[in-house]
Amino acid sequence: MLKEKCIKSKIWISFIALLVAMPIFVVAFSWAMPEHELWAHFSENILSGLISSTLVLLLGVGVGVMLLGTVLAYLVVMVEFPGGKWLEWALFLPFAIPAYVLAFVYLGVFDYSGYAQVWMREALDLPGFDVRAGSWAIILTFVLVFYPYVYMMTRASFKRQKLNMIEAGRLLGASPLRVFFQVSLPLARPAVAAGVLVTLMETLADFGVVSLFNYDTFTTAIYSAWGDFRSIEVAAQLASLLVLVAFLLIYFEKKSRGQAKYYSSDVTNKKPYQATGLTAWLISLFVFGVFMLSFAMPMLQLVIWGWSSVADEWSAKYFDLIASTSILTISAALITVMLATFLALPSQCKKASIWLKSVIRLATLGYALPGSVMAVGLLYGINQISIINIHFGGESINHIIYGSITLLLFAYVSRFMAIAYSSIEASAQQIKPVFTQSARLLGASRLRLIWQVYLPMMTPGILAGGLLVAVDVMKELPATYLLRPFGWDTLAIQTYELSAEGLYERAAVPALIMVVFGALLMAVFQYLDKKSSRTS
Amino acid sequence: MLSVTNLSITYKNTQVLNDFNLSLKHGDILALLGDSGSGKSSALRFIAGLDTVTSGSIELDGKALSSNGSHLIPAESRGVGMVFQDYALFPHMNIEKNISFGLVAQPKVKQRARVTELLALIGLEGIEKKYPHQLSGGEQQRVALARALAPAPNLLLLDEPFSSLDKNHRDQLVLQVRSILKKAQVTSILVTHDETEADSFADVVGIINNKQLTFK
Repeated sequence: MLKEKCIKSKIWISFIALLVAMPIFVVAFSWAMPEHELWAHFSENILSGLISSTLVLLLGVGVGVMLLGTVLAYLVVMVEFPGGKWLEWALFLPFAIPAYVLAFVYLGVFDYSGYAQVWMREALDLPGFDVRAGSWAIILTFVLVFYPYVYMMTRASFKRQKLNMIEAGRLLGASPLRVFFQVSLPLARPAVAAGVLVTLMETLADFGVVSLFNYDTFTTAIYSAWGDFRSIEVAAQLASLLVLVAFLLIYFEKKSRGQAKYYSSDVTNKKPYQATGLTAWLISLFVFGVFMLSFAMPMLQLVIWGWSSVADEWSAKYFDLIASTSILTISAALITVMLATFLALPSQCKKASIWLKSVIRLATLGYALPGSVMAVGLLYGINQISIINIHFGGESINHIIYGSITLLLFAYVSRFMAIAYSSIEASAQQIKPVFTQSARLLGASRLRLIWQVYLPMMTPGILAGGLLVAVDVMKELPATYLLRPFGWDTLAIQTYELSAEGLYERAAVPALIMVVFGALLMAVFQYLDKKSSRTS
Repeated sequence: MLSVTNLSITYKNTQVLNDFNLSLKHGDILALLGDSGSGKSSALRFIAGLDTVTSGSIELDGKALSSNGSHLIPAESRGVGMVFQDYALFPHMNIEKNISFGLVAQPKVKQRARVTELLALIGLEGIEKKYPHQLSGGEQQRVALARALAPAPNLLLLDEPFSSLDKNHRDQLVLQVRSILKKAQVTSILVTHDETEADSFADVVGIINNKQLTFK
C-alpha cells in the first residue's frame, strides 16, 4: 500500500523537482554540442582575462567583506559604545537596496562628472581619475553592498558565544585583542566563512554592478555571447563554467556550516567590554561611518535625485512598469510557493527515499546560480527542442517561446525555489509525527490531512517564503534582462537602463519606487515573523 | 589578604545586598551561601572586576582593586582567577592550550612544566592533547580549576562550580578541590546554595540573608 502510493508521489515530486532544476542540466549538456569556432575565439582571446578579472574581484571582495563584516559584528556584540544599540540594527539596512542601485549612486557621485570629483578638481586642485579603471572602486562598492551577509552571520555567532568564555579569557590576563584573536574569532570562524562564501556567490551572480562599472566577469561575457554574438551555445558553455565554480562554493559553504558546533543556546545582551573616552568615540565614528557610506548617504542621494527629476522622469509609462513588475512578482511568488509547498509537505515516502531527497536538493541549487545562467539554460533548452523538431520535419518553436512570459517565470521559479523551500520546509519540520498519526487514526484521508492539518500549520512559512521570493523577484536583473517579453520592462530594468546611460538622477525615480516596495514587503515579513515567533 | 568593604548591590531599583563587609586571610577558604537572586554571584563578579555595583571597595594584598563601586584595576590585570559554573573551557583548544592560556608571558618550556605540574595536582596526568568535549563533566571541572590556578592567582573565585555534577561525583570532587586549594595555599571564595557543600568545602561559611551577610 505504502509502496504503491510512493510510486505516485515519487513520480510527481521528481517531475517537479527536475523541471525546476532543468536549467542547470541544460547548461552542462551544452558541452555535448559545442560551437567550436566561436568558443575557440572566446577561449583564446577572452577566457584567461575573464578568469583573472573574476578572481581579482572575488579575492578583493572576499577579503574586504571578511574584515569589515567581522569587525563590525564584533564591535556591536562585544563592546559597549555610544550609539551601539541602534547601529546594531542599522547595519542591516543596506540589504534593502539592490546592489546595482547602490552602484549607480556611487558612480553618480564619484564619476568624472560627479560632484565629488568636480569638487576635488576645482576646490582641491586634484587631478581627475577614472573610477572604472582598475578594480579598486568596484571591489569597494561590492564590499559596502555585501558586508551585511558576513555581518549578519558572524553577529549571530558572536551572540551565541558564551560570555563566560570571554570572561575566562580576561581573568586569565588576556588583552581584548588576544581574546578576539584566540577565543572569539576561532569560535566564529565557520560563520565568517559561510558569510564570505554567500557573498562570493552573490558577487559571481551579479550582473548589474559589473556592467555599470564596465568590469568583465563571467556574467557579462555570457550576456555578450548571447547579446552580441547571438551564440546561445557559447553562452551556455560559459554558464556551465560558472555553475562549476558556484557548486564549489556551495560545497565549501555547507562544509563550513557543518562545523559550526560551538554554539550555546543562551543569548545574552550583556557586553564584556565597555569602551570609554576617545576609544569609544572612535569606534562610534567608524561604525557610524560605515552605516553612512553604505546606506544613509546613498539613500539621501537617491531621494535628492528622485525629487529633482521626478517631474521629468515620471510619466504614464510608470503605471505600466509598476503593473508589469507587480504581475511578474506576484505570479512568480505564487508559483514558487505552490511548488515549494508541494515539495515540502511532510510525507512518509520522502522520509524513506534518498532519491527524493536528492532531487529536492537539486531543485534548490538555483539560489547559487546567476540569473543569467538560468536564462541561458532555458534559451538553450528551447533551441535544442527546436533543432530536434526541425530535424523531424517540424518547425522551430523559438519564436513562440523566446520572449514569452512563461520562460521568464520559469527562470524566476528555478532561481528562487531555494528561498521559498527553506522557509516552508522549516515550518513543515515543526509538524510533529503525532499530528499526522492522530489525524490518521481519526480517519482523515491524505487530502484532508494536507488541507486541514499540514497547510494551516505551514502557513507562516508559506507566507514568509512568498514575501522573500517577491522581494528578490522584484529587483532581479540578469534573467529579466535576457528573457523579458517585449513591452514587459520592469522597475529594475528601467533603473538599470537609465543608469547604464549615465542618467543617474532619473534612475533614482524607479530605484526609489523599488526600495519603497521592498521595504514594505520586508516590514510585512518582519511583522509575520514576530507574530509567528510569539505563537510558536 | 582580601578585604571587601561597604559593598551594596541594587538590581533594577531593588536593593539585594547592603553594607557587605568581608575580610579573608591568606589561604582562607570562604563559602558564600544564599538563595538565587541574593546577590552572591554579583558580589563575586564585582570582586573579579567583571561587573560594577552601587558601592563597595576591594583591597587585595594591600593593593586597591576597586573603590566606590567601580574598578581601579581591570579584570585582565587583577591576578584573580575564576572557575565558572559551566567550566567555560575553550572548546577549540586542547587541554594543554587551555591550561597554559594564562601563562603566555612565560617561555614555552616553563609553560609545559607548569601544565604537567597542575595536571598532576588535579590527578589527570597525560590528557594534554585531549579536547574538552572528550572529558567527563567532573574532569572538565578539574581542568577548569587547573586553568584558573595556572597563573598562581592571589585569589580564586568559584561560581557554583559543582552544581552541574551528580551528587556522588560532587561530594568526592568538593573534597578533592578543597585539598588542592589547601595544598596550593590560595585564598578562595566559593558561591553555592548547597549548605552541605559549603560546610565540607570551606573554613568559614557566610550566609546572605535579608540583604545582610552573617557568618556561621
